[in-house]
Amino acid sequence: MTVTNDTVHDRIETARTDLTPMQLAAILVFAAAIGFTLLFLQEPIAHDAMHNFRHGAGITCH
Amino acid sequence: MLVDYLQRGVVAGAIAGLLYGVYMAVVANPLIEYMETVSHHAGEHDHGHAADPAHAHAVSEATTEVVSVGSGVLWGIFLGGLFALTFYFLEPALPGTERVSAYVLAGAGFLTVSVTPWLVLPPATPGAEQSLGPNPRLVIYAGLMVLGAVVAATAILGYERTTARTGSRYYGLVVAGAPVVATVAIVPTLTPTITTAGAMPAELVTTFRGLTVLSQAAVWAIVAGSFSWLTDHVESTDGTAALEDDHPVAA
Repeated sequence: MTVTNDTVHDRIETARTDLTPMQLAAILVFAAAIGFTLLFLQEPIAHDAMHNFRHGAGITCH
Repeated sequence: MLVDYLQRGVVAGAIAGLLYGVYMAVVANPLIEYMETVSHHAGEHDHGHAADPAHAHAVSEATTEVVSVGSGVLWGIFLGGLFALTFYFLEPALPGTERVSAYVLAGAGFLTVSVTPWLVLPPATPGAEQSLGPNPRLVIYAGLMVLGAVVAATAILGYERTTARTGSRYYGLVVAGAPVVATVAIVPTLTPTITTAGAMPAELVTTFRGLTVLSQAAVWAIVAGSFSWLTDHVESTDGTAALEDDHPVAA
C-alpha cells in the first residue's frame, strides 16, 4: 500500500487526476455489464439458466 | 493507484467467486434441484404449481447448473470489484488497521447488499410464493440496500466518535453494534410478510436460508481476506507492480 495518512477527499482527487476517461469508462462498463447480467436480465432463457444461482445467492425474482 | 486496488479486488473476487462456484456445484445446485422436486410434488396436490407456465424451465437442468456455477464466479468478481472501488475511496475513513478495515468494509457490504434486504425479502426457496411482483420487490430491495448502507455508516461513525471520545474500543463496539442489532430486530416486525415458503418443510427452509446467509458471508470474508493477502503480497515483493510481474511472457 502507498500513502496511508490521506483522506477520502485526497483519494477522490487522486482518482480524478490519475485515471484517463477511457479507464474510468472501462471500469464503469465492466461493473454495469456484470451487474446487469446477474441482477436485471429478464430474458427468459438467460434468466432461467441462472435460476439456481439466484436462489443460492438470495436474489430471486420470480 | 485506483487501478491497483481494482486489480487486487478483481483477483480477490475471482478467488471468492471460484470457491463460491464450487459451493454452487457441490451444494446449492443439488439442494435447489431437490427442493424444486419437493415443491412440485407439493404443488400437484395443492394448486397445480408445477403446471404454472411462469415456473416451467426454458433451459435444460444441465445448462442451468453450468450457468449457475459461472454466475457464482461472476458474482464474486462483481463483488470483489465493487469492494475494491469502495475500499479505495473509503479506506481513510474506515477504523482499524489496513487488514481490519478491509473486513469492516466487507461486513458493511454484506449488511448492505444482503442482510438488510433479506429482513423484508428473505432468500426465496424454490416454489416460494411472493405477494408482490418482481418490479415492486426490486424497488424494495434497492431501498433496503440504501437503509443497509446508512446503518453501516452510522455504526462505523458511531464507533469512531465513541472511541475518540472515551478512548475505549469496548464502548465503540457497543455503539457500533446498536444500530445493526436494532435494524435486524425491528425491521422484520414492522414490515409485512412478502415471501412465504409454500408447502416446503420448515426445516428445509431454515437449512436453505442458513446456507444462503453463511455462503454469502463467506464470499465477503474471502474477498476481504484475499484482498489483504494480495496487498501484503504486492508490498512484500516489488512495490505496486507485483501483479504485472506475474506474467512476464504475456504480450
